[in-house]
Amino acid sequence: MIDIKKIDALEKLIGKLNSFYSEMGALAKKSPNDGLNIFKLNLINSTIKDCNLLLGKEYKPFEDFEIFNKDDLPTNSDVTLILSQYLEALEKFRSDNITIESFSGKWYYKTEKGLSNIQTSPPAKIKNN
Amino acid sequence: MVLVRPRITEYNNIFIPQINLDFAIPLLDEDIPLFVDPFLLWKSPSYQDKSIHSSVLNSFNHLGWMTKNNKKNDAIKQIIISSECEEVGLGLSNKRKGNKISQKTANEILSLFEIIPQYNKREFTHFEEIQFYIEGISKDRISDISCNFMKSFLIDFTIDQCEKINIPMVDCVLPTLYNLEKYSFDENIKVKLPINPNSKLPIIFVPKRWLRFIPWINFDDYYKDYCPKDKINNDGEELSHIKVLNYNRNNYDMIEYYIKEKERTFEDCKNDPLFKQIPITSAKSKLNQIKKLPTGKNDNSDKKYEDLICQLMASLLYPHLDFASEQSRTESGALIRDLIFYNNQDHPFLKEIFNEYSSKQIIMEIKNVESIEREHINQLNRYMNDNFGKFGILITRNELNKSKKQNIIDLWSGQRRCIISLTDIDLEQMVELFESKQRLPLDVIKKKYVEFKRACPS
Repeated sequence: MIDIKKIDALEKLIGKLNSFYSEMGALAKKSPNDGLNIFKLNLINSTIKDCNLLLGKEYKPFEDFEIFNKDDLPTNSDVTLILSQYLEALEKFRSDNITIESFSGKWYYKTEKGLSNIQTSPPAKIKNN
Repeated sequence: MVLVRPRITEYNNIFIPQINLDFAIPLLDEDIPLFVDPFLLWKSPSYQDKSIHSSVLNSFNHLGWMTKNNKKNDAIKQIIISSECEEVGLGLSNKRKGNKISQKTANEILSLFEIIPQYNKREFTHFEEIQFYIEGISKDRISDISCNFMKSFLIDFTIDQCEKINIPMVDCVLPTLYNLEKYSFDENIKVKLPINPNSKLPIIFVPKRWLRFIPWINFDDYYKDYCPKDKINNDGEELSHIKVLNYNRNNYDMIEYYIKEKERTFEDCKNDPLFKQIPITSAKSKLNQIKKLPTGKNDNSDKKYEDLICQLMASLLYPHLDFASEQSRTESGALIRDLIFYNNQDHPFLKEIFNEYSSKQIIMEIKNVESIEREHINQLNRYMNDNFGKFGILITRNELNKSKKQNIIDLWSGQRRCIISLTDIDLEQMVELFESKQRLPLDVIKKKYVEFKRACPS
């Protein structure tokens, strides 16, 4: 179960990660082996750090990956790969914390105090089906 | 420690890239192949540069006044003295030594004030014009004459630069120094200047904004585009240099027209950098050529590989590593080609390399082989003993196999020596970064170093 604060953080992170992913995806298509500049890398690293905090051990996509090391000169394709894995993990986390209200058929976050009034979209798996 | 192509900065343990200094860093064993172009001072927006140009010109024209006022012998002495300026170390000599002009040439130069009416009347406005009339006068003489007449300023500039970056200076004696008040050379002047540690001779710095490979006003340019070759050569014989010089003496209007054109287009006259990076398209094309080359020695592919790597690396690593030299050496009958870079230490990684491995210069050995053998590693390792500290780079085609990787790790474990390899894939990434400018191509070397250190036992 999550609380309102975490719901807020989760939605912000999904937004950030989606925008990084689409940006990086375009760069990776153009030049997959190009390095990412330090400014972008720092922004992405700070978002990944926040994701790790929210997801915890249970949902974190890789046990031995924390953030990118700038000395490793991560390429556009490296970063895109990791971002896609984090997006998947966030979605799994979100899916496990939402439920459908049978009366209206709408999806809401579940909190410790019961169903919240924060509406959300159905899990991606269901949406895609 | 013996340095390859030593510069005064590294010799004094000062590690600043050329790009961050206002003067051309003098080499201790040879000249810098650039020349002072007085036209750059003339066209400079700086009043200081313009006034130095005026004073050089006044000093030169004073020789004409002396010639016309029965002091020709003194004028000859002065022009001979001014014709060589070893302290600045510019030119094409590989020993930092040059010769002065002969009495005959000096006489010919001074006679221009008498035989060409325009110079007799209104003197020179650009003294580099003498190269259009006198055999044996070219860019090096123009540069040396300029330097001698402005040596007082250059000495002040040198002292100022030395104080800024802490290059040691010692009391030394300059055989001659032009005195602007007396319009003559003083002898045996005591000054504090940096010296060449080998020859103990003083060194004078020159602002790099005044340097060009060829002066803006030059004979070849005049000959190619302005000289009326048909008029000079009406007898069908081959057009000789002397014939053109003689023609010019009798046809000043041609020179005047050329000078006016050069003055009109002054904005195109720029100083030449000491090193110019190759353009991105050229870097990409060199990389493609490298990737297409077979390994081994067939069709000279090893030589082609070495040449391409040399051109590529010097540009990719500039300005953090100034290219020093490429050199060939023979070891156990095998010819080895190396690239040597000055370690400017202006990047934390390069500072770490210096601190950990005492590398004042960085050596890269080029190997166009399918796979690196133990002997290749040993060859570089043995060479690292002598001059280059304990860090070296093997530039080769493919990644080292497991046993060779272990080999270099063992070298680190046993002797704290570090050899890293750069392959075609790494070069590709360096060229990509060179183009995108997202990170430095040097970061690829750092990445390889970090990977190597992680593999080493802690």
